[in-house]
Order: sequence, then structure tokens, then C-alpha cells
Amino acid sequence: MRVQDRLAFLLALVPYLLDNDGVPVAQAAAHFGVPEQRIRDAVELIAMSGVPGETKAYQPNDLFDIDWDRLEQRDEIAITHQVAIDDSPRFSAREAAALIAGLQYVAALPANADRETVARLTAKLTRAANGAPAAVAVEGGADTRLGLVREAVAAGTVLVFDYLNGRDEREERTVEPLRVESVDESWYLRAWDRTRRALRTFRLDRMRDVRTLDGAAPERPEDIELPERIFQPSKQDRSVTIEVAEAVVPLLADYLGDRPQTQPARRGWVRTRLRIAHLHGLKRLVAGRGGQVVVVEPEDARDAVRDWAAAGLARYGSDTI
Amino acid sequence: MAAAVSNEERLFSLVLALLATETGLTKADILSSVQGYRQRYRANGGNASLERQFERDKEDIRDLGVPLESIELPADQGAVQYTRYRIPKGEYDLPADVTFTPQEIALLDLAALAWREGSLSGESRRALLKLRSLGIESEEPLIGFAPRLRARDAAFDPLQQAIERRRVVAFGYLKPGEDRVRRRRVAPLALVQFGGRWHVHGTDLGARDRRTFLLSRITGPVEETAETFEAPPGEPAEEARAGLRAVFAANRALLELTPDTDAAARLGSRGEPAGEGVVAVHFTDLALLADEVAAFGPEVLVREPPELVDAVRARLAAAAAAHGGGTGG
Repeated sequence: MRVQDRLAFLLALVPYLLDNDGVPVAQAAAHFGVPEQRIRDAVELIAMSGVPGETKAYQPNDLFDIDWDRLEQRDEIAITHQVAIDDSPRFSAREAAALIAGLQYVAALPANADRETVARLTAKLTRAANGAPAAVAVEGGADTRLGLVREAVAAGTVLVFDYLNGRDEREERTVEPLRVESVDESWYLRAWDRTRRALRTFRLDRMRDVRTLDGAAPERPEDIELPERIFQPSKQDRSVTIEVAEAVVPLLADYLGDRPQTQPARRGWVRTRLRIAHLHGLKRLVAGRGGQVVVVEPEDARDAVRDWAAAGLARYGSDTI
Repeated sequence: MAAAVSNEERLFSLVLALLATETGLTKADILSSVQGYRQRYRANGGNASLERQFERDKEDIRDLGVPLESIELPADQGAVQYTRYRIPKGEYDLPADVTFTPQEIALLDLAALAWREGSLSGESRRALLKLRSLGIESEEPLIGFAPRLRARDAAFDPLQQAIERRRVVAFGYLKPGEDRVRRRRVAPLALVQFGGRWHVHGTDLGARDRRTFLLSRITGPVEETAETFEAPPGEPAEEARAGLRAVFAANRALLELTPDTDAAARLGSRGEPAGEGVVAVHFTDLALLADEVAAFGPEVLVREPPELVDAVRARLAAAAAAHGGGTGG
């Protein structure tokens, strides 16, 4: 963790401890969402710290102090002497801007907040910031299925829907919904798929006829854990070599990762490798980049892209350039 | 010799010392007396590396939104050793009348968690700490709901900083259909995400008018100039958003979608029905919609506008040709 984050943690913890005299270590850890050891380490550091004082020698009266016996015997934190700090710090302008933008994004979702709440909170955050936050606005886009799916997650209801998978096959899926996630404008449901007996990720905009299966008990294993990343590489993934115009590389971050390994190719282009689950996704990705992404090998991947683009072109009554 | 003082302890001690002083401390006071510096301080000079440490620490502390002031004493204008440093408590403390309800905390938690990656994730994490500091328990946490905002464009951070500092920026911008990057000088006013993409809105000093730029079309670094500007009246973020909404409403494409395909599912979800198998989709940027439509290959036939037909055909033709298709392929 960066030292700035550590400092921010100390500056946040002190006023909390002052306001919550005798708070158990476990409760403080739960409140801040950190391990108990992190609280203990911070409290120990706070108790050693203070101001130089008149003598400039950090005399006992210039330092914070805590009730050590109480900490050791009852695992409770009580500050018995405080210096310099008593209130929570203000937000930085950037912190306030981040919260305001995030607020606009989540407020655009169903059942979150009305415009009035957002305006009130924005005003409060602006006043609580040191410096004017940069103006940041987010126009969110919600999916029409979001309300229903979100309710099902909260209630633990089993969902049934028709799903069109990435291979253009439509089939009925029965799932135990676990989490609704979004990436900017795209919405995903992560769920236990009862037929596949595995965790799967579904795009909300590919679902049709979403309905609940009332009264169904969960079947998934109890110890199941959702990985943090939405897309998991699979052993069955294939590797494809592509050449990409340099300007386009950042736009492919979702597929290449934030720090893709690239080699120089012809002038203005780089060569890199892409892992894909199937050619259906690849041909779309490449066709949408109008020649700025080129599949080098394997041959069947090149053919798939060419056929896809040519078929698209043929719809306009021409197959030549 | 005393055990080494951690960076964390030194920074914390510096904040405490500067909060406790009314009149301010000189650099010499700080280096010679504050925990973490005093252990390395040499009374007879040669403290250059310690001074550099102090400069970095000041920046780190200010970055957190702590109002660390330097006061130049009038009589000693320009003499660095007489600059005094302090953190005025009134500007450090969260104003007492700013309070949040448990419902508001729950909403702000969600807002902060939306920035889980990339730009602003560090800021959100620290903002969340400060919210926790108030000791308000959030209303029922929203289990199983994880909206996520991203700002992956490299231009985002420098633009946000320039907006805060009211500095004119210069950057290269590649408009679709043009083959040459043009240099723009812009007084940036607001960042707006619309349709999942980040835009910067500001005064284009070349065109002498307000403009909105797509961050993904900025090429090369965003350079902050020394030139500053006055904030114009009004709410630039709202004006930019209203502008994008108006463009979005005015631009309409008619797309024929092949039933039971990815295109029908995804573009169909976004548009309004406009006849048998046809949907009307609104858009802010023709080139971006053309990228998206071309990706669906034969699943979409563009009916209108003709410019979109041309743009999609050009993309498909280029993709086919690059993979050995087209004339003579």
C-alpha cells in the first residue's frame, strides 16, 4: 500500500477513535473494512506519535496516549490523551470529484436516488472539499432488465431466461443470480448456472423473457466464491497473432490487458497476441476496427474475419471495394 | 542510534506538527525537530537530501487535500529559510455542519466503489476512508450490486488536473475522416461520460468557441501550459451534457437487424422499433456507431443515414481487404 494511503488511514482513524471511545478492535476493523492487525498497527503508531512540543523533544504530554491495559485485556481502544487532531479531514478536490461522478453514475440506475438527493450530496461534497472539484458528469445508461435482475440477486430468487450466447445460440438458462456488475454502459449478471453446474457471466442485453422461478431452493455448492474479474481466461482459449495500428492499441485494453506485450511490426503498427474463446467474438472485434486490426495467424481465424466482413459488405449489394 | 522512522510515521508527525502550530514552522524548525527528520538532521548543514525529502512530503500531504500553507513573511520576501509552514485547522477540519445520513453513506459507498480500477480509484479509496472516519454506519449494504465506472484514456488524469488548476492544455486530436492530427489549444472546463465514453468540454482557443472532444481521439500526451484562464459562469459539466443529449436526440439511424442474432439482441435493446425488423438508434458520433455496426457484419443493414451506410461499408471493405478479401483477394 502506498504511504499516502497509510497516512490517510491514520488521519481518518484518529477522529473515529475519539468519537467512539472504547471501541472494540474488531468493530473498528469491520467499520473500515480492514484486517484487525491493521487497526492494531495503526493504534500502536498513533500512540507513539505527537507534536515536538515546547521542548521540541516529544515529551509524554506532547504525545497521544491510549489505555494500554484495556487494549491488552479487552481488545478495546480508548484514547486517553489527544494532540493536534480532533476532526475528520476534508476531501481533496479530486476525491470530491470522484465521489460526485460516481454518484451521478449510480444515481442513474433504477431505485437508487432521485436528482434532488444527488444535487444535495453534490453540494455537501463540494463544501466538504478543499478546493473546487473538477466538473465531472456521467450520463448513465441502465438496462431495462436491471431492476428485475437486481431484485432477484437481493432476494436470492432463481431466474430463468432465454439467452443468446457469444456463438449466437439461443437457449433457456436457469441460474442462481449472485451479483450484478457493470462496466460503464454494459451490464452483466454473474450467476451459478444450474445446467452447466458452474459460474457463468451473462450480458443483460442478451437476455430475453426474464422470469423468476419462485420458491426454488439454491443448489449451488456453499463454498462457491466469485472471482474478482468478470472474464476468466479458460484453458480452452486459443491464441491468435494480430497486428494493430498503434493508435488503436489503447482501445483494445479489454482484450489485451493494460500492459500488452507488443513487438514492432511495420511502421506505425505493433504485433501482439490475443487469447480468444472462439472465432465468433474475434470476427466482430476485428470487423469493427475497419482494417486497423489485422489477424496474421492462424489461417482459419483470418478466413473467419474475411468471410464475416465480406458477408456484411454483400448485404449492400457489392463484394468489391 | 535510534531505529529508523517509517515514512508513514514521518508524514503523520509532520501533519501533527503543522496542525499544532499557529504561527507556522520554518523549514529549519521542521527538519531539526519533527520525528523522522530530526534523526537525520545535521546541525552544521549538509541537509540537502533531507530538504528534498521535505519537498516530496509536502506534495504528498497536499495531494491528500490537506491545506498545507507556506507563509512568506513580508520582511523576508524571497528568503526561503523564512518561509513558515502550517496547516490551518479551520481549513483542515471537515465543516461541522456537513453530515451524512446512513442512506447517503450507502449511496456514497456505492459511488466510491464504482471507481474500482484506473483513474480515480485511489481518490475514491481515500474518500471512502474519510467517510468512514465520521463513524456513520451505512444503511443496509447493497449486496450483490457492483456498478463500475472506468476512465482508461491516458488523457483523463492530466485533463482533470488542468481543469482543477485552470490551465490551458494542448493536445493532438484526430478527427474521423481526417488523416492528419491537428493540434488543439483548449481551456478545459469539464469531463463528461456519455454513452460509455469520456469527453472533455472546454473553450477551443483556436476556434474561439466551446467544443466537446472525445478522449479516445486525443493522440499523444496532453500538455499543460503555463497559461491560466478564468472560470466562465454557469455549470460547464451540465452544459456539455445537455449539448451531447441534444446531438444524441438529433442523430438517428435506421438499422435492419437479422432476428435472433447478437446484433438484434444488443442494438435492439438500445433502439426503438421502427417497422418490421428495423430499429431506430440514436447516436452522438457517426464514426463510433459505424465501428459498432460494422462489428456485427451481415447481421445489420444500415438503411439511414447515407453517411452511416458509407462509413460501415468502408470499414467492412477495409477489414475484408486486410484479410485477403475484396478485389483480386
